[in-house]
Amino acid sequence: MPKRKLDPLPAAAFQILLALAGEDLHGYGIMRQVSEQTDGRMRLGPGTLYSSIQTLLEAKLIEELEEREDESLIGVRRRCYRLTSAGRKLARSEAERLADLLRVARAKKILRGDYV
Amino acid sequence: MSEKIYSLLLRLYPSHFRARYGSEALQLFRDRLRDEKGFWASVRLWSDLLLDFAVSLPQEYLSVRTEFVGAAPLHSANGVPSFYFLEPELLRPGALLFGALVSSLAIVTFSILLGHAGGYAERAGASLGRISGEPGLSQSQAAEVSSAANERSPGEFKGGAGLDAAERHRVVETAALILKQHYVDQENGEKMAKALVQHEENGDYDQVREGATLAAVLTAQMRNVSPDRHLLVAYSEETLPPQPDATNADPSAESLAGYRAAMQRENCTFEKVAVLPGNVGYLRFNSFPGVAGCRKTVEDAMDSVNSTRAIIFDLRENRGGDPAMVMLLAAYLFDHPEYMYNPRENTTEQNWTRSPVSGNKLADKPVFILTSRSTASAAEHFTYDLKMLRRATIVGEKTAGAAHSGVWHRIDDHFGMGVPETKAINPFSTADWAEVSTEPDVQVQSADALQTAVRLARATIRKR
Repeated sequence: MPKRKLDPLPAAAFQILLALAGEDLHGYGIMRQVSEQTDGRMRLGPGTLYSSIQTLLEAKLIEELEEREDESLIGVRRRCYRLTSAGRKLARSEAERLADLLRVARAKKILRGDYV
Repeated sequence: MSEKIYSLLLRLYPSHFRARYGSEALQLFRDRLRDEKGFWASVRLWSDLLLDFAVSLPQEYLSVRTEFVGAAPLHSANGVPSFYFLEPELLRPGALLFGALVSSLAIVTFSILLGHAGGYAERAGASLGRISGEPGLSQSQAAEVSSAANERSPGEFKGGAGLDAAERHRVVETAALILKQHYVDQENGEKMAKALVQHEENGDYDQVREGATLAAVLTAQMRNVSPDRHLLVAYSEETLPPQPDATNADPSAESLAGYRAAMQRENCTFEKVAVLPGNVGYLRFNSFPGVAGCRKTVEDAMDSVNSTRAIIFDLRENRGGDPAMVMLLAAYLFDHPEYMYNPRENTTEQNWTRSPVSGNKLADKPVFILTSRSTASAAEHFTYDLKMLRRATIVGEKTAGAAHSGVWHRIDDHFGMGVPETKAINPFSTADWAEVSTEPDVQVQSADALQTAVRLARATIRKR
């Protein structure tokens, strides 16, 4: 099946890749991690989250793991997602693209100082 | 509860998405519901979810489409291209049931609404029927009827309460007869008569004990057949005066002579005929007197202002009169026969002015008509038509709005009927003056109308 377009990489997809860079997470975990790393600015709804996951899966940027029993909640089975090496590569190139943008912004004096 | 709502909303997603991620999405919802407690948290949760639906739903459907649209033949086996094919998605029985339910609900709703619409018309008619003092009744009769209507309180009923079958029958029968004989549109008149008789046969009036109610019901039912505001059955608690001699019949010789003598004494109600400074002709007359006795007076009056450069008709105290006099006066204002619409008469050659009038020089002079709230009937006829024909500038106040003449028919001691008997077609697009009154072109207090008109007349003369 032809791949869905991930070029340019949508913000939600990039955030998911970043969230999975640290550890394997299930859907709700991804949502919470994204919310945390954006200071609560981005709260992924289920629809957006899972359609992004679907796209990323199809592009083989992430992979799904076996369904497992949740450790804290009895009777709840969850499926975790893991970043693939292709996904890590794409996330890195996206981050570099953003870093390039940042450099341009600094050169144009839009951003001052050398934080970030 | 909220979980149920959410799982229903989830069904909006395409089936492949639901099959794969439905349970996970629901689980995520449950997790959030569990972790985010409190009013504001749940408000945020739902606003997130709705926003999410708005964004991701179309995306999900769109992406399915583009997938297939963008799909090129992937393999070609021995030169024959092969395509993916869409898996036909069978309708769930639940969806079919839901569809059937919704459509039958829609049909039921529509039919109920339609039924109601019919009901409104009837009720509207019934309430109209209670309006007393309609045009069509002579003033005294109207006053009587309306006072009877006003006093209609349960305790005070004397003659009304004991309406018996015989009287009901007499009223309905007579009303039907009057309709057949006198209604302007014979076909509709017979239809209405038939409807009334039919209603009686059906026993629709059996429960009616009050005269006023019967009158209102009959009025509403006639108007259901043909919506004519000027048609009504009225009830009066007091005994109605006997039917005057046929209204259409010629007045007797002595009353005619008396009228003519009175008109002569009063100079045919022409109070003032003058030429104002600036050569503006001015005619103040308080009725349109009968042509037979007053032709000479009026012709003399018009002759005396024949050389003026503008003419003012002061109709502020004019309550109406003879339509033939309207035609006689209007003839001076045109150089060719002109049609003057009169809603009270069927069109005949009488509706065309006998223009040009020999020796008359007023046909192209500016005309001003002064009006007040008292300007009525034939005076409105004159005003309305000249306004519509753009022959006159109307200065003053909105007119009274009294166009309709009808004929009063006595049914018995307590019931009567107003029936309009003639109706001409209005050639002008706007409603005639009975419906809206005639609006002045220049709105001023009636007391200031003359001054304003004189000023306008002089200004017009200067421009010419």
